[in-house]
Amino acid sequence: MKQHHPPRLAEKIFSWYCGLAKIEDLQGDTEEIFYHNLKTKSPLRAKLIYCKQVTSLIFSYAIRKRKKDARYGVYSSHSFHFAMLRNYIKIAVRNIYRHKYFSLINVIGLSIGMSVSLLLISLLAYVKSYDDFHLNKNHIYTISSHYKEGVEEYDLSSSPIVLADKIKNEFAGAEQLVRINSSFNGKVVLKNENIPLRGYYADPGFLSLFTFHLLEGNPSLVLSQANSIVLTETAAIKLFGRTDVVGKIVEMEDAGSFQVTGLLKDYSKNSHLKFEALVSYSSLPVSTSSAEDQWTNYRNQYIYVYLPDAQAENKMQDYLNRVAEKTYTTFPTKVTFVVRPLSGLVTKDLRNAIGPKWEASGFWVFGLIALLILLPACFNYTNISIARALKRSKEIGLRKTMGGQKDQIFIQFLMETIIITLISLVGALLLFLVGRSEFQSMLVDAASTDLSLNVKNVALFVAFALLTGTIAGILPAFYFARLNPIQALKSQVQGNFFSGMRLRKILTAFQFALTFGFILCLVVFGRQYRYSLHYDFGFHKENILNVALKHSNAQIAKTEFSKIASVQTVSLSSGRLGLGAPTTRVRHTDSTDSSEVAQLFIDDQFIPNFGLKLIAGSNFQNENFAEEQSIIVNEQFLKAFKVKHAQDVIGQTYTVDGKELKVIGVLNDFHFSSLMVPIKPFFFRTNPAEYQIANLKIVSDDAYGSVTAIENAWKGMGQDEKMEARFFDDEIDEAYDFYETLLKIVGFLGLLALSISLLGLLGMVVYTSENRTKEVGIRKVMGASNFSITVLLSREYIKMMLIASAIAIPITIAGLEFTLPNIQHYYTSVNAWDVLLSLFILLAMGLATLSSQTLKTASTNPADTLKQE
Amino acid sequence: MKVYLGEFEELVLLTIATLGDEAYGVAIKESIEQRCDREISIGALHSTITRLEEKGLLKSWMGGATQERGGRRKRFYEITPAGKNALTTTKNQRDELWSLSKIQLSPSK
Repeated sequence: MKQHHPPRLAEKIFSWYCGLAKIEDLQGDTEEIFYHNLKTKSPLRAKLIYCKQVTSLIFSYAIRKRKKDARYGVYSSHSFHFAMLRNYIKIAVRNIYRHKYFSLINVIGLSIGMSVSLLLISLLAYVKSYDDFHLNKNHIYTISSHYKEGVEEYDLSSSPIVLADKIKNEFAGAEQLVRINSSFNGKVVLKNENIPLRGYYADPGFLSLFTFHLLEGNPSLVLSQANSIVLTETAAIKLFGRTDVVGKIVEMEDAGSFQVTGLLKDYSKNSHLKFEALVSYSSLPVSTSSAEDQWTNYRNQYIYVYLPDAQAENKMQDYLNRVAEKTYTTFPTKVTFVVRPLSGLVTKDLRNAIGPKWEASGFWVFGLIALLILLPACFNYTNISIARALKRSKEIGLRKTMGGQKDQIFIQFLMETIIITLISLVGALLLFLVGRSEFQSMLVDAASTDLSLNVKNVALFVAFALLTGTIAGILPAFYFARLNPIQALKSQVQGNFFSGMRLRKILTAFQFALTFGFILCLVVFGRQYRYSLHYDFGFHKENILNVALKHSNAQIAKTEFSKIASVQTVSLSSGRLGLGAPTTRVRHTDSTDSSEVAQLFIDDQFIPNFGLKLIAGSNFQNENFAEEQSIIVNEQFLKAFKVKHAQDVIGQTYTVDGKELKVIGVLNDFHFSSLMVPIKPFFFRTNPAEYQIANLKIVSDDAYGSVTAIENAWKGMGQDEKMEARFFDDEIDEAYDFYETLLKIVGFLGLLALSISLLGLLGMVVYTSENRTKEVGIRKVMGASNFSITVLLSREYIKMMLIASAIAIPITIAGLEFTLPNIQHYYTSVNAWDVLLSLFILLAMGLATLSSQTLKTASTNPADTLKQE
Repeated sequence: MKVYLGEFEELVLLTIATLGDEAYGVAIKESIEQRCDREISIGALHSTITRLEEKGLLKSWMGGATQERGGRRKRFYEITPAGKNALTTTKNQRDELWSLSKIQLSPSK
């Protein structure tokens, strides 16, 4: 028979909790009951009863009394005294005040560390507050679609609008259903100029489902008539310069005129619905498309519905599943519908969302970074506190002798840390206020993000400071609480894991490893940026001015532009090279397998103009472009259609959009899309109707003069629209602007991490130098040189930096080699120079910090230091 | 000094009296549980015992090493003279009240 024991964990907890109290008889009692129970009950039950008994003992008066009897001193008490709390605060403040230098280092470090987290917290709080002003916020649901065709599969936040009618007719309990179409987007015709206005077509129920405050007009009527429009205050002022606009007419450029029926109070920024105007849904032109089209058209169509409870939500979901199953049986696409609650909608990864999208993954990355900045700051505190244990050991010894209990010492030191973090919170808050606008400008939806301080945020900040204090202070507090009073009074602090250099070394090494990682990332991203800008895309990008054709005739524009002296050649195209191209499906005329291929429409001047290299065949000749006959493909195209030699493909015909087109040329691969994606199959076509851009090759050095001449030509063509022209290389460079933001962020974070680590290093080196002044004095008397003492004092830290870098190098490189290809397909690998440069930066900064102290210590006159005491 | 006994305190004291030399934690607990048909937790029992000790109604001593219960010693309890006094006082009060009762309290035989 198996021998059963009382649960060991419960035993351990019990004896740990009781500490020095004498509980032998109680342990015996509980064990006896356990073995007694084993005879009549199952082992599991006996164990459970044992745990229950132990718990009842732990909370009993018996144990409290016995622990009290077992205390160190007569004054000790386990109850929490307010007077002691006051004493802790007083001692903490005195300590902070007396050791100003260390306090300053800690406060600065923690302020920097916490500031990044404050940004994260305020942003999280803001995102969490989305749409919380709607009175119905817990009952509003949206119906989104899940789309699947072949291997393509994604979630959409929109859904076909015919679904809304079907629900209304068939589903009982969805009376409050609102259709929104976000396509109301045009220019308002005014006397002087046309002003753009964005809004939604919405059902009359919009204003009762959502909580938007109507200043003028009747909420149930303002959207009931066709061609009614409700303006927000801002929009009213934008259009009319005043807010008494009800009854006025808004004339839209393409959509006719609308009568203003209401005025809406400006809503708060945390609304995921963003509009300047609401237009009655009945104003939306009735769709005449086929049933299949209507069921597969998701563009701009959103359905919101009021559902009273979870039961109704489930019923709705079941109903939608049935509808989807019935509807899409014959379609190639498979669609299902999902009911989603309004709360948390902005953090879902949905395509074509009506409002801003705050992806959860971004928050995880941000959170990780904030943690990586915060932890080193906490470690600084931990390190410096433990290093200074010797100075506090007498105080602790005395406290313990006078009856201070472990947990009281623990609380005292934790409180001291929390006071430091609360002071740091003020500094962090200042940094937060300074950095807020810059941070906001990096966000996806900067304009509508509100990170202002409010009561809730401040409460969160304080809670966060308490948490930070706990993280930073828990190790020192444990350490001090465990000190043996006799040894502490004798200043003989024994070297265990905590006090020994080991923990401090690990923490410092971690900081340096992190700093090194940031520096290396910065160096590599910087090189990556330069690499992208100087990358050979396979075509010329210099001296080409792209002019948007807008409504002008392509051929006339070409002729007019060609007349300008500084313009060498003019070509026409449907898009810009290097910035991506739309795709279409192509199949070999004799085959049924089709492939996705990217395309641009160009004229015969385009290929020479951009310096693209033909490897077989020829350029487009003077043929009839309007009747498309031929195409020019790239090498990837050959691969996609499994053609071995470029020559073989010439003369083959491919079916595109129902046309049979003959390949007349093959081009070297070039980067028609950005460097982020690999080169894909591509071909050039010739349809003048598709031309949107004139590419002007400028030969003059006087760019300004050329642009003026081109502008004059543009006006000469009778264009009333403003000319939009950009230099091609600027456009290309702009596509890599995100690197600049990335560099800014990484650089900033690296700077934070670096300054925190250096502060920590400074604290440690100041402390060691202080402690070793006597030793240094004796060494000098015995003949040591300044230099050898400097080396002696710095050696340990330099070794630590090198070890930290050695650990950080493989981890950072692995991380970068994983990240870089995800950012950009054509990337430059990390090389030895990057590593050496980063190492140099780290060591230079570290040495500068070290030498600021070690040199001073080394050069002191031994006569002064030895006399001390 | 006047000492008031709670119901459970009285029960514990009397049980200890009935157990004589064998009055230790588990024995007291089981005896009460059997006699009164009620479940009591060891924590509650020891709390009460501790309070009785503080009031000076009980005294205790550690027994010798035992074979069972992991060799751990038992703590035995004994009623002090003050404890006996308190019990007597309580009993007398009750008896007096019983005898003065104007109605028939115990069910007629």
